[in-house]
Amino acid sequence: MTAHFHLTVPVAPPAVVTDLPAFVTDVRPSDHASPQRGAAQAAAVAELAGLGGAFVPFRPDGLDPLVTAAGLLRRTSRVQVTAELHPATATPVYAAKLSASLQRFHANRLAWLLTVDLEPAVARAHGDFLTGPDRYARASEFLTVARGVWNQGGSFSYEGRFFQVLDGGLPDSRSAPRFPRIYLSGTSPEALALSAEHADVHLLQPGDDPALVPAHVARGVVLSVAEDVDRYLRAGVSEFFLDGTDPVADALRVGEYLLPELVPAS
Amino acid sequence: MTTDIYWRIAMEGDASALHCSRITRGGFGPLGAGAIAPSVAPGDPSTPVDYMAEVARATEASGFVGGLLPSFPSTDDPWAAAASLAAETTSYRFMIAFQPGFLHPVQAARMSATLQLATGGRVVYNIISGGGGPQQLWWGDKVAHDDRYARTSEFLDVLKGVWHGGGRYRHHGRFYQVEDAGLPGYLAAQPFPEIFFSGSSPAAIDAAGRHADYYLSWLEPFEALAAKFQAVREHSERPPRFAVRVDILARDTEEEAWDVIRRGWAGAGRRGHESGGDSVGVQRSQSFTAGSRPDDFRTLETEPNVWGGFAQLRPGPAFGLVGDYHQVAGRLDELINLGVDSFILAGVPHLEEAHRVGTRVLPLLKGRTA
Repeated sequence: MTAHFHLTVPVAPPAVVTDLPAFVTDVRPSDHASPQRGAAQAAAVAELAGLGGAFVPFRPDGLDPLVTAAGLLRRTSRVQVTAELHPATATPVYAAKLSASLQRFHANRLAWLLTVDLEPAVARAHGDFLTGPDRYARASEFLTVARGVWNQGGSFSYEGRFFQVLDGGLPDSRSAPRFPRIYLSGTSPEALALSAEHADVHLLQPGDDPALVPAHVARGVVLSVAEDVDRYLRAGVSEFFLDGTDPVADALRVGEYLLPELVPAS
Repeated sequence: MTTDIYWRIAMEGDASALHCSRITRGGFGPLGAGAIAPSVAPGDPSTPVDYMAEVARATEASGFVGGLLPSFPSTDDPWAAAASLAAETTSYRFMIAFQPGFLHPVQAARMSATLQLATGGRVVYNIISGGGGPQQLWWGDKVAHDDRYARTSEFLDVLKGVWHGGGRYRHHGRFYQVEDAGLPGYLAAQPFPEIFFSGSSPAAIDAAGRHADYYLSWLEPFEALAAKFQAVREHSERPPRFAVRVDILARDTEEEAWDVIRRGWAGAGRRGHESGGDSVGVQRSQSFTAGSRPDDFRTLETEPNVWGGFAQLRPGPAFGLVGDYHQVAGRLDELINLGVDSFILAGVPHLEEAHRVGTRVLPLLKGRTA
């Protein structure tokens, strides 16, 4: 089994911005501490180091993931860029339309991590008052509609509890864009049922049982440190989302030391 | 205050000339010989956004402040394009067309502020409230025409409230509810984008009066446009500014310009308007050319150099200016004297015509003289 590493890029400014002593010539660009600069460097280094992807998380104190992902896709040429999004932020038709353009522009390298269970106060601050299993029902409708308009040009109609479409479908284009790879997470029965229906990859936390993941769905894990990778690989986990405190150093360490170890001897 | 002149980006793809209907550039149209970005050349990695980037660079170098990135079912998406191109233009303002029904206002606030940070404050909104009818359900939007303007109004209230609310913004309205919302400080510190507000119905004009920095209209016969501006003035608390979207077909001589129309007309597929449904703007455009005859394209010229047949030659609004460089500049000056404060100009192909209009027409403008 091949391991795919995705580097979580920083999306908020550094906690501490250092000042240089006054006598030291300071020509740092005015945006030197911008989170966009940090995210761009992390994604570029992930590509240099041979990792498979960059992950742009949603954080209440962070940049918008989709807008940031678009910038990272433009700056890279090989890595997958996974954007975290929530089903209450956009209609599934619009999320699909915006993403179809990103796929056309950037060689089909966009993926979605759909978050379903935001912390309640964060959800309310983003206009979402839905709670409990209904959130999974809405997520299922969101993905059904997004995939429907993507694949059934002009003929997709849908009448759900949360979303409606009449004669929908994205226009034909000369480079048929691929639907984003779908990442989901969670260990509740509703979360696992949603994954069985819609996920390409189900993301676990360390300590979760990999056997929970529906058989036809790939297994991923979120790690703060790249360790025990062999053990995870033996348990059928193939995607690793690195979420450490120093992403640039983590990416280089994986590229220099870990990836060579994981190449099967020929 | 100086006049902001924008140029359009063809989000639906671009043709090699106005009289050629085949889209050769960008994401749509057939992928065959002569196709550009993407092309059929083996290993060519170029994509539609590479062509858009060149249009944006030509635009900012030719005298325009930026470009309108339109949004229709058959186009690429303006947020996707602006976010992809943020880092590789210098002064170009991205005027993003979008409908409030697409995004939650808190999400729109975070996306906009993120893009403001990436561009150094170069985001401008073109707020549309929908073409209506079947097209709205294509988008998954069931809200009726006049209610959409009420929603647009509430959307903009929430968007501004979240942006400036410092994490304590609360709103319980008809379309949106939020509690303790806000943006992180470094995003809230970004400037709120200017608003170009589109819509021709009374409900639109009423909503525009509250929110618009610019009231944006398609070009219409000048008398009708002046009447529309007057209606907006009467509904506005503060004196509104006006912007007009105008297609330009300008050449060294008037004959050359009309010859392009003649050739296009001979091969036109009579495509009709891009946006239908319950759009009042489309109904108005059609009423101005009701007496025209399909066998004579000059019957669509409602007054000198003002031609209402562009929608037959390319997707988009009906009216534009046709003539030599001096005639077209003169008509634009007349619009300025009518009260126009900003223009969105366009021409096919958008790359070469940005350079032509920027270097041949814009230098001839005299500005407000009346």
